[in-house]
Amino acid sequence: MGADLWIISIAIFCLGALMGALNFITTTLDMRAKGMTLMRMPLTCWAWFVTAILGLLAFGVLLSAGILLLMDRNLGTSFFVPLGTVNGVLTGHKGGSPLLWQHLFWFFGHPEVYIAILPAMGLCSQLLSVFSRKPIFGYKAMVYAILAIGFLGFMVWGHHMFMSGMSPYSAFAFSIMTMGIGVPSAIKTFNWLGTLWRGKIRFSSPMLFAIGFVSLFVVGGISGPFLAQPVLDIYLHETYFVIAHFHLIMGVASIFGIFAATYYWFPKMFGRMMNEPLAKTHFWLTFIGAYAIFMPMHYYGMAGGLRRYSQGTEVGWINQLWPIQRFISIAAFVTIAAQFIFVFNLFWSMKKGKKAVDNPWEATTLEWTTATPPPHDNFGGLTPVVYNGPYEYSVPGAPRDYVMQTDAPVTARH
Amino acid sequence: MDATQIAIAERVAEEQRHHKKAQFLWVWVALLVITGIEVYLTYQNMEPIKMLTILMGLSLIKAALIIGFFMHLRYEISRMKWITMSAVVGCLILMTIFFFPDAHRIITLGVK
Amino acid sequence: MADTVVTHDIPSVYEPSLFGTYSKKIGMWLFLMSDSLTFGALLYAYSYGRISTAGWPTPFHSTSIVNATIMTAFLLTSSLTMVMAVRASVQKDAKMQTIWLLATIACGAGFVILHGMEWSKLIAEGLTLPMFPAVPGHEVSAEFANVAKSVPQFPSTFFTLTGMHMVHVTLGIVYLGVVALRRKFIPVLLALWLIAWLATPSYSPFHYGAHVLLVAAVVISIILWLKPKVYDSSDVEVAGLYWHFVDLVWMFIFPLVYLMSTRI
Repeated sequence: MGADLWIISIAIFCLGALMGALNFITTTLDMRAKGMTLMRMPLTCWAWFVTAILGLLAFGVLLSAGILLLMDRNLGTSFFVPLGTVNGVLTGHKGGSPLLWQHLFWFFGHPEVYIAILPAMGLCSQLLSVFSRKPIFGYKAMVYAILAIGFLGFMVWGHHMFMSGMSPYSAFAFSIMTMGIGVPSAIKTFNWLGTLWRGKIRFSSPMLFAIGFVSLFVVGGISGPFLAQPVLDIYLHETYFVIAHFHLIMGVASIFGIFAATYYWFPKMFGRMMNEPLAKTHFWLTFIGAYAIFMPMHYYGMAGGLRRYSQGTEVGWINQLWPIQRFISIAAFVTIAAQFIFVFNLFWSMKKGKKAVDNPWEATTLEWTTATPPPHDNFGGLTPVVYNGPYEYSVPGAPRDYVMQTDAPVTARH
Repeated sequence: MDATQIAIAERVAEEQRHHKKAQFLWVWVALLVITGIEVYLTYQNMEPIKMLTILMGLSLIKAALIIGFFMHLRYEISRMKWITMSAVVGCLILMTIFFFPDAHRIITLGVK
Repeated sequence: MADTVVTHDIPSVYEPSLFGTYSKKIGMWLFLMSDSLTFGALLYAYSYGRISTAGWPTPFHSTSIVNATIMTAFLLTSSLTMVMAVRASVQKDAKMQTIWLLATIACGAGFVILHGMEWSKLIAEGLTLPMFPAVPGHEVSAEFANVAKSVPQFPSTFFTLTGMHMVHVTLGIVYLGVVALRRKFIPVLLALWLIAWLATPSYSPFHYGAHVLLVAAVVISIILWLKPKVYDSSDVEVAGLYWHFVDLVWMFIFPLVYLMSTRI
């Protein structure tokens, strides 16, 4: 019963995500402000746009997988049950293939990883540019890299299934394409570094989290090519190495994106700044904590520490790794405790934070042209007209060191 | 109404000029005839693979007729045609390439 | 591209759309893309099961095939009446629009009823899922019972694929009904629900399936209450896209599920 409710809620979630994706895509295509060409969109919007496309194409497949699973559990079909038991009860189900479930699930599951990480990539690109006071390095390359990641993200679901007994020839193809994703990811990483290079960096809390995101993304991503090779994956797949890789690159990195976005847009939402010393404390504890949790996991995994087991104290070689586990646990508790600083800061700043001006970060995008917090229809009845790209910082000859997207050009541009 | 909306309205009106009764009837008859051919072929005792290929080919023709004429994709701008169709067809091709080798392995090697 | 000069003489608010048509239609196309992948995945699950199962049965007699062919003709005809409704709506002919829409609904309902009878017959004869209750007082055909026992994949895939399609047709009927009759459709829908519920015996899956109509009635009541509007030609066209798509899906289910499993 519980599992059925869970499947039904996932199915409803699929429909909801699908409708959300429709809305995002249509809005991005149809409702951009005058002058906001696709190549003038902030990278945050680009990332959300590609995320919505991934959601549109992936959630439909998860929906049908969920329906089949529900049928298997309640109507006695056997799509996924080879022989034997459902929910611990012996049944007459036979002839199904768990591999089919894996294919259907991971066809959704891998794009879903990018659904989680792409928005963080987009908004961190934006933040790095804002707080380095420099245009983003290679805007077009960033856009095409996002599109390439989205495109390749659909072709690599099989790298979750090297252990499942699928055809080794497919595994080979999946392996090649998975390593191919390294290319657009590296383009993005080098562009992030290029944006930071010789910038007038302001280390405000959103920027710290954005840099933290880049750091985690690089460190988590480096272990990707190892896991992308079936030969290595067969050894590493059931170990903590996978957990370390996944959580650094997708788990914590996305969460850093969420924190960065919260610190960045909080003034616009509530009209008050968040407390900066508290935010910095939160950042350093979380950043060091994340590495303290997940770096030892690489070692633990390579030494053969298995995942998916609640305890391994009876096994000799795992027993010797026990101090690592203890260290990881302590680091995890400390990191969780640090999150209460964030929660406190969030609610305290809503009431007592310093009043925010309209454009506290001196950013150029449209949301900073309106009042803080925004009036009822965001722009108070005036729809903005866009004249510039989103990352016009340190513009030579401009009166300020940045040019808003809505600033009309004073001189003819090249 | 501003220029953009006028432009879209003109395009939609241009599309709607293609609502010709004779054409719809023609497509409908073609669809019915193809269905008839499919049912006829079913009773011709063919090799299953050959029959599957023919039936799927005919179904694709039917699908193209429905999408092109009834759903008016034929009269949309080429960007819309290509983006919508290539996304769906691409995903389906991917599934085809990677799903069925495993299904074959199950029956030939006995792995589940 | 970023250096394109923007001219201001056009007092427009928005950039022209990438797809060159109105947003509602783009939204429906995107939904249909996603839905075609949902059905695609179901059809792939069916094909996968069929390839990986030895001795796939071919139990459909000519009565089933004739019935399914008539159902196909119903759906194709409903697509024709649907484009006629769109044509009438473009020509601002409100009366003909309603008539054609109702004709479409009638054809769709014919499809669902024929399909329901087919299901009931197969279930009664033993080609059934383990969890469907047995039909009292009906002779089980040994052949079908044997199919259901030896290759449970067969009834599983049959009922899942056609059931999912039937749900889509039913929701399509509700959608068209709302576009055609608006608020007046709610009592019609409630009457249909009562008929479908009370006229089917309690062992039939349709006895419970009929409640889809009740849920739909509640949902559309809320929608019409929150956003009452007169549906214009764009709404009819968008509803038509959905309807044709349901038709399109059947064009693949019919040969794969029925024709490829015909007893020759």
